[in-house]
Amino acid sequence: MQMYFSMIRNDFLRSKTTTLITMLFVAAAATLLSLAAILVVSLPAAIDTLMTQAKTPHFTQMHAGEVDLDRLAAFATERSEVEDHQVVEFLNIDGARIAFEGRSLAGSVQDNGFSVQNENFDLLLDLNGDVIKVANGEVYVPIAYMQEGLAGMGDRVDVAGKKLTVAGFVRDSQMNSLLSSSKRFLVSPSDYAAIRSYGSIEYLIEFRLDDLSALGAFEAAYADAGLEANGPTLTYPLFRTLNAISDGLMIAVILLVTSLVVVIAFLCIRFTLLAKIEEDYSEIGVMKAIGIRLTDIKRIYLAKYIAVAATGALLGLALSFAFRSMVLENIRLYMGEPEGSTLAVVVGTAGVAIVLLAIVAYVNRVLNRFRTISATEAIRFGKSQDQPPSARRFRLGDNRLLDTNVFLGVKDVLARKKLYVTMLMVLVAAAFIVVVPQNLYNTIASPSFISYMGAADSDMRLDVQQTDDIAAKTAAVSAALEDDPSVSRISMLLTRAFNVRTDDGTDERIKVELGDHSVFPLVYSQGRAPAADDEIALSVMNADELGKSTGDTLTVLVGGEARSLTVTGVYSDVTQGGKTAKAAFDDPSAEVMWGVINVELASGSILEDKIAEYGERFAFAKVSSVDEFAAQTYGGTIRSVGLASGVSIAVALIISVLITLLFMKMLVAKDRHSIATMKALGFRNADIRRQYAARSVLVVATGVVSGTLLANTVGEALAGQVIAQFGGSSFGFVVDPVAAYVLSPLLIAVAVLAATHFGTLGVKMTTIADNIKE
Amino acid sequence: MIITATGIVKAFGAGDERRNVLDGASVEIREGEFVSVMGPSGSGKSTLMFTLSGMDRLDGGQVLFDGRDLSTLSENDLADLRRADMGFVFQQPTLLSNLNILDNVILASMHDNRRDVDSIKQRAMTLLERAGIAELADRDITQASGGQLQRVGICRALMNDPKVLFGDEPTGALNSSAADEIMRLLAEIHRNGTTIMLVTHDIKVAARTQRVLFLLDGKIAGEFEAGEYRGASEELKDREERLMAWLTEIGF
Ligand SMILES: Nc1ncnc2c1ncn2[C@@H]1O[C@H](COP(=O)(O)OP(=O)(O)OP(=O)(O)O)[C@@H](O)[C@H]1O
Ligand SMILES: [Mg+2]
Repeated sequence: MQMYFSMIRNDFLRSKTTTLITMLFVAAAATLLSLAAILVVSLPAAIDTLMTQAKTPHFTQMHAGEVDLDRLAAFATERSEVEDHQVVEFLNIDGARIAFEGRSLAGSVQDNGFSVQNENFDLLLDLNGDVIKVANGEVYVPIAYMQEGLAGMGDRVDVAGKKLTVAGFVRDSQMNSLLSSSKRFLVSPSDYAAIRSYGSIEYLIEFRLDDLSALGAFEAAYADAGLEANGPTLTYPLFRTLNAISDGLMIAVILLVTSLVVVIAFLCIRFTLLAKIEEDYSEIGVMKAIGIRLTDIKRIYLAKYIAVAATGALLGLALSFAFRSMVLENIRLYMGEPEGSTLAVVVGTAGVAIVLLAIVAYVNRVLNRFRTISATEAIRFGKSQDQPPSARRFRLGDNRLLDTNVFLGVKDVLARKKLYVTMLMVLVAAAFIVVVPQNLYNTIASPSFISYMGAADSDMRLDVQQTDDIAAKTAAVSAALEDDPSVSRISMLLTRAFNVRTDDGTDERIKVELGDHSVFPLVYSQGRAPAADDEIALSVMNADELGKSTGDTLTVLVGGEARSLTVTGVYSDVTQGGKTAKAAFDDPSAEVMWGVINVELASGSILEDKIAEYGERFAFAKVSSVDEFAAQTYGGTIRSVGLASGVSIAVALIISVLITLLFMKMLVAKDRHSIATMKALGFRNADIRRQYAARSVLVVATGVVSGTLLANTVGEALAGQVIAQFGGSSFGFVVDPVAAYVLSPLLIAVAVLAATHFGTLGVKMTTIADNIKE
Repeated sequence: MIITATGIVKAFGAGDERRNVLDGASVEIREGEFVSVMGPSGSGKSTLMFTLSGMDRLDGGQVLFDGRDLSTLSENDLADLRRADMGFVFQQPTLLSNLNILDNVILASMHDNRRDVDSIKQRAMTLLERAGIAELADRDITQASGGQLQRVGICRALMNDPKVLFGDEPTGALNSSAADEIMRLLAEIHRNGTTIMLVTHDIKVAARTQRVLFLLDGKIAGEFEAGEYRGASEELKDREERLMAWLTEIGF
């Protein structure tokens, strides 16, 4: 034990930097893994707690229009699985009529609605998880507005002239998520009555069931019964998903980075270990020759790595406790203190323990090379290696082109390819994780990205919803726009509800957007837009649900009779809950849901004026800029991806620098004999260091080029998978060539060269006397 | 005088352990001379060679190499001086394993002037031929024997036509017949006018040199003028015996 301890200490003192870097990566891997474990355990627990406390509805049907309460009550009593039901009013007030301390919510694309607290279920909670009791004159505001810094405690809020004070914030188990397009404010019943006439009422028809497994049957029964259904249908599992999505993405990112760091930690270990074995080659031979058993030799080396890995793992575990509250912040805010934190600690520790064991197993495996070191050979020749034939042909005597130092650097990389593979792989990975998030960011931030998302790439959009006679009003707006000379392109699309006959014979309602879809073409993941009367295109979600793909036929009840439509294409959609369809025919008899007019202006500079102008002329229409619409629909995602991209650039650079530093230090230590030899021959320090720089340049160039290529092929496909989660699949990067192909590679190259500079300082300290004198 | 060293001091170790390995040694080497340095193991023979060539820095005294005071030169100046005017052969071949034999020989010359590749290669081939290993030029260093590699080292050291060729036990790792060939090669090089300084503990080697310096307790304890060796084997026996007698007298 004593012997191991002093050997470990000596070895540590001799190679401080490399040992520290290895330990650092183990620590980072342990931290991340433990954090991921904490999140994985906490998130579902927190969601469960929230949804249990709030008694989230199992089924919510949003409905604009009249509600027949008696018929609903009859339906609810008839269905034995229904435990409770309620019809909740959601008073939709235009953002322009809501102001926090004088700042209005006019630009908001959220549907801002006011409600009173429910009695039995769908309870709105405060930040302590308690059911909110609102006093007169108070308003509770959605958490999202607090996080965006729009509202603070005690702020004065003006709602259609009614003065209220922010008394707290709402945890809303249905509408917390940024992805849900409605937000609920909570006011007292008397204040509600006072503002009721200033907005349009939408109903939330909510059901709680005895048993969640009956949900599927209940959904079908509700649809069959032909009850109120003018609006999206939402279910308990969907609420769960919505609540999980942003933290779920964070878990995915952490796990991705973790696996990368674990791989790097292993590379570091492999690397230092092989170098050490090589260094000790003849000593190992001697130990074997004097009869020390292989397992005993292995134990000496293993001891060091166990010490390093265990220290790193403990450090990582400690760090993860420090960062714990940071990663849990969002969950705490939106859902409350997660339960099962001991479990999280146990799972996190177990994960770290697994990494530790894996390291030990790995070191053990690498150490099996000892077997191949024969005692006699090791003593006689020291290291033995043959260079590959390709490198052999690369002769100094044939070189007229390269500077001799550059030549020697290049030659070394060619002759010892295996040695450089590690560094190369790290740099490939670094380039990859720099370029992919950056391209992804560029892509989703680009204006045309919205056409991947189911919306037209236009300048201005006018929504006509929640009013009477939508068809006529939409046509009137459209006609006015047609006459406007500053409008260059316009498309009017009316969404109507139809029944679709599914393969099992039941009917299902879908909303079909009717009109000319060629004016502002969407990007289709499959097929093309519908053009003829017997064609239809489906959003990815609808296509999945109906089990249809391009070329299939779909039976739709048009004007009372079944019509067979061909599916011409599938597109992704994040608007209107993601379940949409598009067709070119018209059926005036079908119920109108809403109308949308997309407008392209001749000049972008008049956009603001036009929005104001049409907003005033047609008070019933919601006029917004498409950029604004995009920013509010997935602006948060763009910001997150932008942040992730920044973080991954930083991570990639740090990793490149550390690995290069480590690698160069080891090379200098390993090559000390040849360095001393060259010095004896009269090479200056700068000459030798230039050889190392040449090696780095060659490796970094190869790495960055292949990493960038990979990023644009494999990475693009991977990013496409992520985008597919939102419904799109015909995904292609929008690349900023300067950033992606010039700046990023340059950044990595500069970082690597700087690290090479510092990593090869040891060349100066490598003296001829210490290494050659006998 | 190509080298004039006066009262050189070199210490190693720290604190209580510190001691002067060289303690006021003075050496003079004339141009064209073939000198050897002998002494007990650990007496500082290698250190003397390293200080005379500027590879170890002095703690006292002065070394003039071709008239230049080595202590006034920077690391870079010393490197340049080694490249231009010195050649080294060590006990181990110290060749770069990435390069084949010819490339190892031309390495330093290519560093200076790679435009003359052809004449550089030609000179290298001439030297390899003289050393009897021209046919090995294209081989990797793993494909040659220890004696052959040592000859490669000598060729490499001669590429710049050095003012002094330093050798630190160049035959130390070789069997006697291989050592013999090396000594014959060195003798020939000496006859062509190159100044050679050898460190050795082998009487057979020292007996072939013109003058033998004996290093003891950090100083030159004495020197033995053996005169020019003509190459006959009976003459060598006689020289060895005389040298042996001198060494015994001086207390080896
Ligand atoms: N770079 C160094 N650092 C510390 N001590 C050194 C160094 N170089 C030499 N020494 C010490 O100086 C003394 C003389 O060493 P040197 O190698 O010059 O002896 P030597 O006469 O060449 O011995 P040998 O015949 O074994 O080659 C030795 O005790 C050695 O340990
Ligand atoms: Mg020596």
